[in-house]
Amino acid sequence: MHEEDLTQVMRRVELFRGLSQAQLQRIANISAREVYGKGDTICTQGSPGDRMYIISHGQVEVVVRDRSGESYPVLYLGQGQVVGEMALIDQGVRSASVIGADDNTIVYSIPNEDFTQLCQTDTAIGYVMMRNLAQDLSFKLRHRDS
Amino acid sequence: MIYKVSYVVQGGEYPGGIKNESERPKVGDIVQVGPMMFEVMEIQEIMPPRDDFQFLHATIRPYRTGVESRN
Repeated sequence: MHEEDLTQVMRRVELFRGLSQAQLQRIANISAREVYGKGDTICTQGSPGDRMYIISHGQVEVVVRDRSGESYPVLYLGQGQVVGEMALIDQGVRSASVIGADDNTIVYSIPNEDFTQLCQTDTAIGYVMMRNLAQDLSFKLRHRDS
Repeated sequence: MIYKVSYVVQGGEYPGGIKNESERPKVGDIVQVGPMMFEVMEIQEIMPPRDDFQFLHATIRPYRTGVESRN
């Protein structure tokens, strides 16, 4: 997808709410488009969390493996949602695996290192996105507690 | 307006989901969450709107067609 089109996608993602076109373009410049099929692994529980993902098309399944080794889906995330953002915040390992739930699932990955560097050079982006990330986590907690 | 919807399955047997919708879901709508279809039972606003985003909570239950429900 052309970068100009990516900024249009980003306008429909709450994570980027409040950012200008120029700021969206700077984030688009560090984002990579990835396409997954149904059942494809996007990231694995326990692995280092080095990037977050924005779901542009399709759905992903968030799967947790418990201490007994049994795996089960805990959440489905669709268009406009963010996944893998916890590692960006706490720099821990992945707390769950993320699997493509539809064929032609399109995500944009944003590497933690590039994102952190961008936030340091443009603190306004850092403030807005960290605020939006906190609100997204709050929404997910409300969902889980329902 | 973009509707960010938390879909929670009645009874807790299936995992729910979160996704953005371009139209506000209504009671009786059929929605796909993961591989399954569900019927919307109830809609609530869970946070005040911010800019172009509204934040909704939808209670859903597995959708069965008339043919399936007779079996």
